[in-house]
Amino acid sequence: MSQVFSPSFGLYAKLALLGLLLVVVSAGSAWRGAVTDPHRLGEPVNQPVPFSHKHHVDDDGIDCRFCHTSVETSAFAGIPPIATCMTCHSQLFTDAPMLKPLIDSWKSGVPLRWNRVYQLPDFVYFNHSIHIAKGVGCVSCHGRIDKMPLTQRVVPLSMAWCLDCHRQPQKFLRPHDKVFDLAWQPKDQKKLGVELLHQYHIDTGRMTDCSLCHR
Amino acid sequence: MSSLRIEHAAALARRKLGDATGPRFWRALEELADDPGFKRELIDALPQFSAFAAMDRRRFLQLLGASLAFAGLAACSGPPPEQIVPWETPPPGVTPDTPQFYATTLAYAGDVIGVLVTSHMGRPTKIEGNPLHPASLGATGPMPQAAVLEVWDPDRSQAPLYRGHAATWQAFAADVAMWPASFARDGSGLHVVSDRVVSPTLRAQREQWMLRYPRMHWYEHAPVAQDHAEQGAMLAFGKPVATRYHFEKADVILSLEADFLGDMPGRVAYAHAFAERRNPSAPAGMNRLYVLEATPSITGTMADHRWVMASSSIALFALELARALGIGADAPVAPGSLSAKQHQALQSDLLAHRGRCLVVAGGSQPPQVHAIAHLLNDKLGNVGHTVDYVDVPEDVTKREPLGALRNAIMAGQVQRLVVLDSNLVYNAPADLQLSRLIKQVPHVVHWGLYVDETAQLAEWHLPASHVLESWSDAQTDDGVASIVQPLIDPLYQGRSAHEFLALLMGEPVQDGLAIVQAQWRLQNPAMAWPDSVRTGVIAGSGGKLAQIDVRTDDLHGWSPQALQHGALELVFRPDPTVWDGRYANNGWLQELPKPPTQLTWSNAALISPQLAKERALANGDVVVLACEGRQVEAPVWITPGQAAHSVTVHLGYGRKRAGRVGNALGFDAYALRTSNQPWTVQGLALHKTGRSVTLASTQTHFAMETEGSKPPVRSLKLADFERDPDAAEEGDKTPPSIYPEQPQGEYAWAMAIDLNVCIGCKGCTIACQAENNIPVVGADQVLREREMHWIRVDRYYSGSAENPVTHNQPVPCMHCEHAPCELVCPVGATVHDDEGLNLQVYNRCIGTRWCSNNCPYKVRRFNFLQFSDLTTETWKAQRNPEVSVRSRGVMEKCTYCIQRIENAHIAADREQRRIADGDIVTACQAACPTQAITFGDLRDPHSAVNRIKASPRNYDVLEELNTRPRTSYLAQVRNPHPDLEDEA
Repeated sequence: MSQVFSPSFGLYAKLALLGLLLVVVSAGSAWRGAVTDPHRLGEPVNQPVPFSHKHHVDDDGIDCRFCHTSVETSAFAGIPPIATCMTCHSQLFTDAPMLKPLIDSWKSGVPLRWNRVYQLPDFVYFNHSIHIAKGVGCVSCHGRIDKMPLTQRVVPLSMAWCLDCHRQPQKFLRPHDKVFDLAWQPKDQKKLGVELLHQYHIDTGRMTDCSLCHR
Repeated sequence: MSSLRIEHAAALARRKLGDATGPRFWRALEELADDPGFKRELIDALPQFSAFAAMDRRRFLQLLGASLAFAGLAACSGPPPEQIVPWETPPPGVTPDTPQFYATTLAYAGDVIGVLVTSHMGRPTKIEGNPLHPASLGATGPMPQAAVLEVWDPDRSQAPLYRGHAATWQAFAADVAMWPASFARDGSGLHVVSDRVVSPTLRAQREQWMLRYPRMHWYEHAPVAQDHAEQGAMLAFGKPVATRYHFEKADVILSLEADFLGDMPGRVAYAHAFAERRNPSAPAGMNRLYVLEATPSITGTMADHRWVMASSSIALFALELARALGIGADAPVAPGSLSAKQHQALQSDLLAHRGRCLVVAGGSQPPQVHAIAHLLNDKLGNVGHTVDYVDVPEDVTKREPLGALRNAIMAGQVQRLVVLDSNLVYNAPADLQLSRLIKQVPHVVHWGLYVDETAQLAEWHLPASHVLESWSDAQTDDGVASIVQPLIDPLYQGRSAHEFLALLMGEPVQDGLAIVQAQWRLQNPAMAWPDSVRTGVIAGSGGKLAQIDVRTDDLHGWSPQALQHGALELVFRPDPTVWDGRYANNGWLQELPKPPTQLTWSNAALISPQLAKERALANGDVVVLACEGRQVEAPVWITPGQAAHSVTVHLGYGRKRAGRVGNALGFDAYALRTSNQPWTVQGLALHKTGRSVTLASTQTHFAMETEGSKPPVRSLKLADFERDPDAAEEGDKTPPSIYPEQPQGEYAWAMAIDLNVCIGCKGCTIACQAENNIPVVGADQVLREREMHWIRVDRYYSGSAENPVTHNQPVPCMHCEHAPCELVCPVGATVHDDEGLNLQVYNRCIGTRWCSNNCPYKVRRFNFLQFSDLTTETWKAQRNPEVSVRSRGVMEKCTYCIQRIENAHIAADREQRRIADGDIVTACQAACPTQAITFGDLRDPHSAVNRIKASPRNYDVLEELNTRPRTSYLAQVRNPHPDLEDEA
């Protein structure tokens, strides 16, 4: 009886297996690429006007709430209306080419369209105001935004990342007067965190209830 | 629906009821007869797959492969990048993401009500009642809720049309400039038809226009109006007055076919007042309601004594009662259709409560019956106590009947006909033949929300702006005026009635706001405009009390015809949801099960079980209804409690040009309606056609498994309740449990529903639909038991099929502490939270539907198909952004309005305070006219929900299953006359 497989078959089989592996890996990475967020972690996002938080916060010392007015009262922190920009830029750098889209928008009434950097799925109901009220600092999610010329996302915004804090909020809480302070470092977070947990009346029992964020 | 022969059903029913002891509740005639088919439906409480076409193995594999491939394709897209678009200059007072509430006024279904509209970043998404408006008192009932769907309806008219082709407002304005040449200088030849005018500004504009053209004609045509009530007041008092009832002061109420909880103007406030006196523990005591009617109405289902009588015979009864109480001695002696005992009991009850009783006549009764009701109230000393009269805002005697328009068209006098938001081609009385005659009018101009039947025949059609897009005003029948303010700029090219009229009149000012403001400066210079707009009521605008003198002269010689023995009468009623047809394109209202038939998406000819037996008819059999030479084909629906020889048809169906949702549903009852007999016609002929259709009724859907348990509704008589207040919960004991207790959070949310005041209007169902983005599924899916309503209102009967007692029971999720659904979910998609809510996590759900199978209350709803429309742009804007829109394949159910709980939580937690009692009002609770629903925190000993749950009437449904539901019910208490205890 003759051999069923020719001597070269071993090579073909190995090549086929390799090919299969290649297909699976590339399909997997293509899928990952397609379904993950449009902007990658740590990658600056282009904007119609190259707005620099570094310049406005670090150099000029403008408080977060000057522009993000509803951060303490509403779910949405608020993107400043053009009118807010114009409080300064009606006088400063009015003819800088960089600011042309802004000035055009102000003159024509056609709104600017900023690209969203921190994007949560629609089934997540995140609320800024309660996080501020309970002593979660801006820096916990937005990083050292005062050092960013162009804004970028610094945290994954995955549910596991949310739960890191919701399971142990004491690791991240800060005094009310340090919430907007991006550079502040706690001396003894362990002790402070537990103290603040009581002071803020945080009901840790329901911090991981599905209903807290999903409706 | 199985087509069970009715004689068989009746025989079985009689046998069943004959040897039954204790109360027995049933929902459909088949159930009463223990039909095996129905039993099967009960057993597999989830959808009947029998409705599907048979599928072979190859086809199944093809579909399976295709769906896998498509699912793979669909997964290949990341979330679309979002953009943030800031304002240029923000409007004052707007915080992004925080909804705002604006007071406005809705004129809907023959009534005017003040509402608060929720606006999410400028989009109207939800309607609540305005607590400051006397016609609302904070509640809405079902129909006003649906206005928010109407404004976003993509089928609305979007641009002017000239002979069916797109045109512009400029072209129309140019046409209008030529008008004066087409009719005489004095306006003869110009005719206007409008809906009933409730806007003071529009009245003033009309007056101005008619002053300029003294010979123009203006007809007010509303197919469902209170004409008979107005004429009745004229008969009784010799002048037009509006009647105001004070049900909260009445101990005994007699309704002569008056559906004051269902379709009378002022119904929401009346329901509130009526409910105040239904609490058996209230200091003022419980009222007693007698209702005489031919077809079961919302008011009839609440009656302590509901006496079924042909609509035509009620007039005779009224005469008889009047004579017995000493009014109109020359009245003929009527053949008694009630027993002497019933007469005696009613009369003694009325006489014993002089000044504290009330007689109310319904809009479908002839004017003389209304006059008799006024005389009776006068005789019984009720005027000034339970009823008073106010001057009407306009002189109703000057109204021209629509018949005059017909004569004018026939005489060739109508050069130009302007139709203002009226669909007379569809809904004018058939004898006027206006749908044919209107073609003889040289120029017809139609202004309305939709390109409807009338717009089709018009030379010009102009789009109207929606009430939520316009400045206007409105006035209730008793004179309370309020401003209508827009929530959003017109989505399309619509203009308001005032703007349209200003254009027709060539006024220099054509801006709606300016017109309304100018009118009020003139009418009421002292009025504070900002306050009136903000509060939603114009202070001091209610009508003045009228001086009245009763007179009986006009009743002499009036002798109504009783229904001949064996003859049939035809009774017309406005539809409980789509009214006169104007809401036909509204999916929420189409799918709302109609009280009391629970039909959706169609009307039917309601017949009594007796008539069904006589003519061997089953549900859905198509019959020909013929009277006075006109006929229509209609499917029948056997309705327990219908008068034996009365056939009821609801108006509003058979639309041809309603839109994508409302076209070609049901049959057109207007084809049988004449101007002389708008409500009741004797001499109806009914023939079987032999054909049959399937009607989408929800009456047997989501039936709870109550075999061997206590019935889900509990009802007892007042006397029994007073003897033993704990009778309702007798024998109830929560069994011990081996399951661990749920975690005890800071709050424990719970709900109590008072069955004694639930009138079954289903306002809760539609409010929930609006709040929670609940999709509409269509008649085909309703037939498969797939309607998505999170709170359904079950309707049970008890007693005989001829005249049963009706019990309503709203059923939301029970939020069981030991929830059976949670135990069977393989993926943990339904879990408990700390505060006692039974949650559904949509993203975890894989659609096994085991939870629904294991739910004894049948409150879970599954998205069998992609029911939510994710593509139509306007629907996206309509939705509540606080609630996820669900996709195909996931289970959903009542959440106790978790978004409202969370928002209250965040507001309270921010300030480090407890959530106060009353901070959270669920959508169903807010809409309820009778405040039957209470929601709150069980941990707070002083909360309203704790107070109500402490009532001896409080009981849990299916308590013996040990689910420990957080939603509990208060048993119903009826208050029959002591001499008539055996019939109630």
